[in-house]
Amino acid sequence: MSSEPRFQGSGVQLQKELLTDWYRRLAAAPEEGRKVAYLFISGNVGELLQACGMDLVFPEVNALQCGIKKVAGENILEAEDLGYSGDVCGYVKNDIGMMLKGNRMPHGTALPPPDLLVCNYAGCATYLRWFEALAEFWGAEMVVVDVPYLRGTAGPTEQEVDYVERQLHELVAACERVTGQRFDESAYRAAIARTKESEDLWVEVLHSARNRPSPIDAYFEAVFFMAPMYVMRGTEGCLEYYRALHREVMERVRLGHGPVPEEKVRIVMEGPPAWPHFRRFWEMFQDWGAVAVASTYSKVGGVWDLGERHDPADPFRSMARYMLGCYTNRNWAMRSELIEHYLDEYAADALVIHSVKSCRSFSVGQADLRERFIREHEVPTLFVESDLADPRYFAEAQMKNRIDAFFEALEHRRMTAGV
Amino acid sequence: MYAAGIDVGSTQTKAVVLDEGGRIVGRGIRMTGADVVRSSEEVLAQACASAEIPVEAVEYVIGTGYGRFRVTAGDDQVTEIGCHARGAVHLFPHTRTILDIGGQDTKAIRVNEKGEVLDFCMNDKCAAGTGRFLAAAAEVMGLGVEEIGPVSLESTERLKITNVCTVFVESEILNQLSRGRRREDILAGVHRSIAGRSASLLRRVGMEPELTFTGGVARNPGMVAAVEERLGLAVNVSEDSQYMGALGAAIFAVERARAGASRQEASR
Repeated sequence: MSSEPRFQGSGVQLQKELLTDWYRRLAAAPEEGRKVAYLFISGNVGELLQACGMDLVFPEVNALQCGIKKVAGENILEAEDLGYSGDVCGYVKNDIGMMLKGNRMPHGTALPPPDLLVCNYAGCATYLRWFEALAEFWGAEMVVVDVPYLRGTAGPTEQEVDYVERQLHELVAACERVTGQRFDESAYRAAIARTKESEDLWVEVLHSARNRPSPIDAYFEAVFFMAPMYVMRGTEGCLEYYRALHREVMERVRLGHGPVPEEKVRIVMEGPPAWPHFRRFWEMFQDWGAVAVASTYSKVGGVWDLGERHDPADPFRSMARYMLGCYTNRNWAMRSELIEHYLDEYAADALVIHSVKSCRSFSVGQADLRERFIREHEVPTLFVESDLADPRYFAEAQMKNRIDAFFEALEHRRMTAGV
Repeated sequence: MYAAGIDVGSTQTKAVVLDEGGRIVGRGIRMTGADVVRSSEEVLAQACASAEIPVEAVEYVIGTGYGRFRVTAGDDQVTEIGCHARGAVHLFPHTRTILDIGGQDTKAIRVNEKGEVLDFCMNDKCAAGTGRFLAAAAEVMGLGVEEIGPVSLESTERLKITNVCTVFVESEILNQLSRGRRREDILAGVHRSIAGRSASLLRRVGMEPELTFTGGVARNPGMVAAVEERLGLAVNVSEDSQYMGALGAAIFAVERARAGASRQEASR
């Protein structure tokens, strides 16, 4: 077998093509007579809505793209001019601002207005208000799927799964009413089968970080790798993408390639990225040869690496289970256990928490998490803070100082310990 | 052999020159200002002049502080967190926790017996609880920053300054003055309010004695008293507290110069 790289970069190219097609199709939806649903990433019901003939818009994804393309700041100011306070979630304000300015993505696509708003993740109260605001602005129907927050550490109870499953059938009825089309159950099952296969491949990609060096950065790269799984799950394109990505990552393993020239520190990352300063934020870790071998944010769309899968034999119930188990629907004991498991499974040296001002459902409790890992588990833990959408919260000098001090101390302690 | 540390802080730039035995032989200090490169060059020249050695005699220089990458003479950089830790343990070997209050930063650092950083916490996005807070209070009282500490020690009545904002503290002080409160009591309240914020940072890293108080603010006796009262323990304070970052950097510089010399020796 040749040792020449064959698949390097193929995932990036394919993702670009898939997303371009996705947005092109989306822009044409009203003209071509397709109805449009807006929904959230965590515990999303994409396959189900598509089987009702709807196209999908994910406002969170729009917000993060505006962040990366550095237009979120302007959108946020637009929303603040309307009266939104400085403390309101940056994703929400980006979306409201973007909507006021014509609902155009940074790459120019004008997004179609919603025919249906599906609040599929009720764990964040702000998200409910967000879609209520959109429902009023667009005059669109809104459906809330009430997903009970998980208590205890045993996972959802059967009653909770029943409760969510029942609501999914109600959602189908609402979709049929909005689209005037019958729900296509066989299309739904076929999509769920593709989803399951994509999940298997995605999990293997995530598990590849057990290697030394890790072939991937399971945070800074994984947040891009996860995109098709989040926005187009269940489609042929999505499955094709994970086959390509899987080939590429396995090739990296074979060649011993990693995301930095020399892997020096293996970290677990908790919290969303600083999208508006993504590159600079990543560089601060690359400078120290730090590679994320696991992250929680790459699981906001689904924690499949613990074994949960969509099941074509039971597509409604497995969807309900999936919705209940999404990362931000887990209580702190579960989140903390998951991080502990990652530190162990991926042989990580340290934990880094990036707390964001915008998202309380992510951030509340992170300061305690830091103390817990330092004191109870003796894991070196760094806590830094900025935002996932609002560029004003990113203080580069302060951020760099903390990151440098943390890795410098780790490096120094290793040196004197002779490791 | 001589080595130096240059600490480019947000308010002041400091330099320390050490001889081969790790003894301080020279110091330099000036306001940082807008020209960071020039400030760092000047404090090094000043420190060398006080050591009575030419600048060329300094073999290794480490830059620290926010401007560490602009220290043109620097052979390497170390964060001021690492440097304050190192400097504090060098002067007070039983130090396990460090409180550093500088111009815009307050840091709580926990260290091991070698002076290696185990954990640290800093104020975030807000300068309340830092030297800047004291400077704002001094300004509104018409006093110098070096005067407010001794004045605060003359307080006879406990007064609570609730404000946690460096900008709004001025209006709160004016309000207290207009109500006829004595400046000694107001200033003691200001010092206690900073001590309270420092205590919460220290709690987050898990404070263990001994505690060494570093940074320019440690020169303020009112602040030392307020911290000691709040924590209920005596703290270590050095005459060189404001040079602690530069001292730590200089210690790293001596070690690296020695390591470099022994590598050269071995390769001969």
